[in-house]
Amino acid sequence: MQAAAPPNPEAPHRFQKRGFSSEKAIKFFFASNAGLTIVILVLIIVFLLKEGLGFFPGYQRELSVYRIAGLEFVDISRKNLTAHEQLTSVLNRAYFAEINGKSAKELQRYQEASALFNAYTDQIGPTRDLVLNNTQEGSTADSEILTSLRANFQKQKDKALEALPDTPHLSAKERQDLIESIRLRAVDSTEDPPLVVTLTDEYSAAQQKHSEPLRAMRATIDTFESAGYDLSSLVSEMTEAVTVTKEKIQSADILQKDRKTLLAAAENAEDPVERERLKADALASLADKPDIEGPMKLLMERKSACVEVNTKLKESTSGIVKELPTSLTQPEAIRLLDVGRRAWPVFLADLEKTPAAINSWNHQIPVPLSAAISSFLTGKNWVTGGEWQDFYGILPLAVGSLMIAIVALIIAIPTGIGAAIYVNQFASSREQELIKPVIEFIQAIPSVVLGFIGILVFGTILRDVSQWDSLQWIPGFPIEERLNIFTAGCLLALMSIPTIFSLAEDALNNVPSAYAEASEALGASRVQTTFRVIIPAAFSGILAAILLGFGRVIGETMVVLLVAGNRIKIPDFTAGLGAFFQPTHTLTGIIAQELGEVPLGSVHYRALFVVGILLFVVVLAINATAHRFVSKMKH
Amino acid sequence: MKTAIQIKNLNFAYSGKQVLHDVTMDITARQVTAFIGPSGCGKSTLIRCINRINDRIPGAEVTGGSVEVHSIDINRKDIDLQELRRRIGMVFQKYNPFPKSIYENVAFSSRLAGLTKRAELDEIVENALKSSALWEEVKDRLHASAFGLSGGQQQRLCIARAIANQPEILLMDEPCAALDPLATLKIEELISELKKQYTIVIVTHNMSQATRCSDMTAFMYLGKLIEYGPTMDVFERPQDPQTEAYVTGTFG
Amino acid sequence: MFDPETLIRKGLPKGHFKDRIVRTLLSGVTYSIVLIAALLFGKIVVDGAPVLFKAEAPFVDLEFLTAKNETLHVFDDEKGNRYQLPASQYSAYVVKNGAEAIFNEQTYSYSGGGIIGPIAGTALLTIGSMMLALFFGVSAAIYLSEYAKQSPFIHAVRLAILNLAGIPSIVFGLFGFSVFVLIVPVITQDPSDRSILTIPLMISDYVISFQGWSSSLMAGCATLACMILPVIITASEESLRAVPQGFRDASLAMGATRWQTIRKCVLPFSLPGILTSSLLAITRVAGETAPIMFTAAVAAKDDLPWEGVDGPLDVLSSQVQALPYHIYTLAARIPNSEYTQRAQYGSVFVFLVLVAILSLGSVILRSKLRSKLKW
Repeated sequence: MQAAAPPNPEAPHRFQKRGFSSEKAIKFFFASNAGLTIVILVLIIVFLLKEGLGFFPGYQRELSVYRIAGLEFVDISRKNLTAHEQLTSVLNRAYFAEINGKSAKELQRYQEASALFNAYTDQIGPTRDLVLNNTQEGSTADSEILTSLRANFQKQKDKALEALPDTPHLSAKERQDLIESIRLRAVDSTEDPPLVVTLTDEYSAAQQKHSEPLRAMRATIDTFESAGYDLSSLVSEMTEAVTVTKEKIQSADILQKDRKTLLAAAENAEDPVERERLKADALASLADKPDIEGPMKLLMERKSACVEVNTKLKESTSGIVKELPTSLTQPEAIRLLDVGRRAWPVFLADLEKTPAAINSWNHQIPVPLSAAISSFLTGKNWVTGGEWQDFYGILPLAVGSLMIAIVALIIAIPTGIGAAIYVNQFASSREQELIKPVIEFIQAIPSVVLGFIGILVFGTILRDVSQWDSLQWIPGFPIEERLNIFTAGCLLALMSIPTIFSLAEDALNNVPSAYAEASEALGASRVQTTFRVIIPAAFSGILAAILLGFGRVIGETMVVLLVAGNRIKIPDFTAGLGAFFQPTHTLTGIIAQELGEVPLGSVHYRALFVVGILLFVVVLAINATAHRFVSKMKH
Repeated sequence: MKTAIQIKNLNFAYSGKQVLHDVTMDITARQVTAFIGPSGCGKSTLIRCINRINDRIPGAEVTGGSVEVHSIDINRKDIDLQELRRRIGMVFQKYNPFPKSIYENVAFSSRLAGLTKRAELDEIVENALKSSALWEEVKDRLHASAFGLSGGQQQRLCIARAIANQPEILLMDEPCAALDPLATLKIEELISELKKQYTIVIVTHNMSQATRCSDMTAFMYLGKLIEYGPTMDVFERPQDPQTEAYVTGTFG
Repeated sequence: MFDPETLIRKGLPKGHFKDRIVRTLLSGVTYSIVLIAALLFGKIVVDGAPVLFKAEAPFVDLEFLTAKNETLHVFDDEKGNRYQLPASQYSAYVVKNGAEAIFNEQTYSYSGGGIIGPIAGTALLTIGSMMLALFFGVSAAIYLSEYAKQSPFIHAVRLAILNLAGIPSIVFGLFGFSVFVLIVPVITQDPSDRSILTIPLMISDYVISFQGWSSSLMAGCATLACMILPVIITASEESLRAVPQGFRDASLAMGATRWQTIRKCVLPFSLPGILTSSLLAITRVAGETAPIMFTAAVAAKDDLPWEGVDGPLDVLSSQVQALPYHIYTLAARIPNSEYTQRAQYGSVFVFLVLVAILSLGSVILRSKLRSKLKW
């Protein structure tokens, strides 16, 4: 035994920690891993901003070039020209809708007969070609091969004749004759079967007949169309001129940028010879300042011509609306004509304002940064990679995203919440064991698979259904594109149902059972208890579920990229609810589609990052609101 | 004295596990009957059989005997369960007002019955709150959330809610278990007031509460009714040794 | 005084029909979801299963799973027999029979051969990102559940987790592209022009160059790991917290250090829970397309990830095919015809079966866990 050492006041107590503590190091390690989440979030924000913020000055410069080169000036007139062209097209469509509507019977018969014939030729095509190739003069094929080819051809022919499409508008005899004539066709015949020829003739005769009473309308449309010729040629002349100026400015910009890069490199170069060489290169690349004022002066000299042509267009078209027929019979034609009539005053009002706009236009007014920002946020055009001018207006994308989300939520909210109520309140535990894993499985289905299903299965089914006669009362039916807002919305609904379901079910589950017990003790039935006590008590949780579902829908990429149709255009709301059956593009989809194709650091590239920032902000705001509801529920 | 509830040879099981064995007793109208006994003796289960609120629990079932309210067997197939529960109010151990306003809590059962006239509802709410001695305290904030009240007030609100549509019988499952002594006192006062109008059955842990409020007392143990009689007799001259042990505090 | 007879209902209960209607409506809605899920799955199985299964022995055709992806050539021979051959067999055929023996030729990109490349790529991406995410995520969760006290730091971490979990996957794609593909440092001898900063290392010519990893397996794994991190942290923390406090108290009371306690008394009991929820995270990582579109995935590649490379670093820094991206390509870039269906439905079927197995696995594991670990 050692003698107890005298207590040393300096020495730490036995319980006191001494020296380096590995415990502290371990704790620090874990803490730094937790801090990683903050680092990632900060990095995301920093890099989105780093790549995105350069967009606005860049876009400002592009808009300035657009102005100083005179493209903006040309667009004042071009806008009217486009409106005129659209109006012409609507009127023409109305005209043909009327004729085709009246000749619908003949058209259908003609279409069915030729569809039947085409199905046949498609099927036998390859084998027929083989027979023909080998029977040509100079063919070396021996008779054995030829026999087998002919047998093969006959086999294909029999097969084709068995699986012909239906022809509900042809009489049984006509169909019989048509099939017979096909059966008897020579291998090398290139003529159409007699019935197809007859029906083609009948159809053109019907068209001819029905266009007779519409002569006046035809003439009116032609007059209207020709009224735009002057403006059209003026615009194309000016377009050529300003495009040249724009290219000059752009190449000067590039040279200047190169020069800056060279000068910067020269600064950094260590070798004096190298430095001198770089400097010399930089000076050599200094281009003359492009001549803007010269071409601009020429352009401005056309101001009066522009005013004159636009005014003339207005004068010559303002009366025409009264000459349009009022006695059309086909619903589609009436609708189109109505669209045209309604667009008329807008068209004329724009023309009215044009002279003032032309006269007050001045290329020297600078484009402020705020104009770039507002053009991004409220611009109706997202035009990129065009020869004329790129515009980065997110309105079409935002509207597309929003409309898809609306469709998705209209479907997913009632189903998701309804299912949550059912499972939580009424389902037996055996039912729960079936339903919950199924919904969990839906949640696990990757979005790209849903998109695939949308393209290959659902879109086609939807298009077929939209052609049913009994559903024609639905606006927008029959749909033109199988990939559209509605298709995407349906698939996103399927995707957000699990989110909404599980969060709403959680919220219902968190309602204390004491409420239900008290309610039933007061004589409420199960349904009354559910709707009067449980659901109100879970209300903010359910609201949070809806919001989180919304956030998920807005942020989803692959489904909309595959299924929304990818047409960058604000849907045509004149079609009413039919607008929901038009293709669109989305905020998420545009990033996925274009990021791979844009040059790094370009304005377009940066624009995509700004779209990303916008998505980030919107989705986080939605989620933050949702979490506020959740915590409100907890208290 | 009229009998309000007759329990005859009641057997009751949760998922096959027998929790009540052959309980037989008559409960007199317009009196307070207390069920006492140690935890898990079945007193709560028994009271919950009277308005069939046990139906909510999966696997819970009456395996024999009957409960009759005014000579109607309440486990009959054609019983109107909602009406039964409207006639038999219930107050729970932990006060559980709905997350609604005070007014809406009290008006809940009337609204269930389809009553929508404001004046009638106002009257019902006022009467119920007055009967539960809460009116003076809340009359200025009827539309404030019920959760703003103190625990005792919330429990009295639950009583008001239970008596709003004038039930015949009031079941109270340890109504003071979650309350402090002052709030308990108020509830007890309220009980003696209410018994003039209602048949009251109360489950309690607290033996002095049973002596203070009840006219009749039933002592239960391990799912069996051990002793049932006037409160004074059960506490002062218990017939059964188990009862005696319990009321004198030897166990439980 | 009330009339006891009113307790006996005459006829059906009050509001019987309303109840019925409400219940029927709700159950209708619920089962329609189940039905739609069943229909979708059924459609994929019906069209996709024949690619892998046959009616005659040996019933399974693994060629689709083990062959590389190729362009499909469809043509007739002189007898009018139709052939569908992937590019390699096609060229063998041409060499043997001559180009003049080919008639009516059509080609379909990505539709021939099998999908071993995408499967391998997705497997590597999943393994890599899950390893990263589990390491960092479980460590972070340990800090949150075992060490953390209320502090501004913890508050910030929780806020960050909450926000990260809500960020759309395409934004992760942008982030991964701008950070992992373009910026992160590499050690190299010849820095690229794109490099924004180079730091000489003084060892021969090596420099640290901030030029990014390009589009590569590494960049994809890192991006996916960032995306899944909040999910892993939340799930792991839940499992850690499910271990009763008593275990920790007992261990600490016996003089164990905090780390010993965590290692011996907390982690072993929470590990099954962590792994179960990781299975669900795997389905998410394996299925995401948007984050890897610009950071790792490539539509066509002749070699498997481990073929023709020098060393593991080369594997990590090359692009890979990925199953979800492959499906995207098949759905978006090639027309739907009878010759492409095999590739399209086959790939989706394989993918969906993988996902189903994983999610079924997690359901089963979870219920096992629940019955096994009860404290």
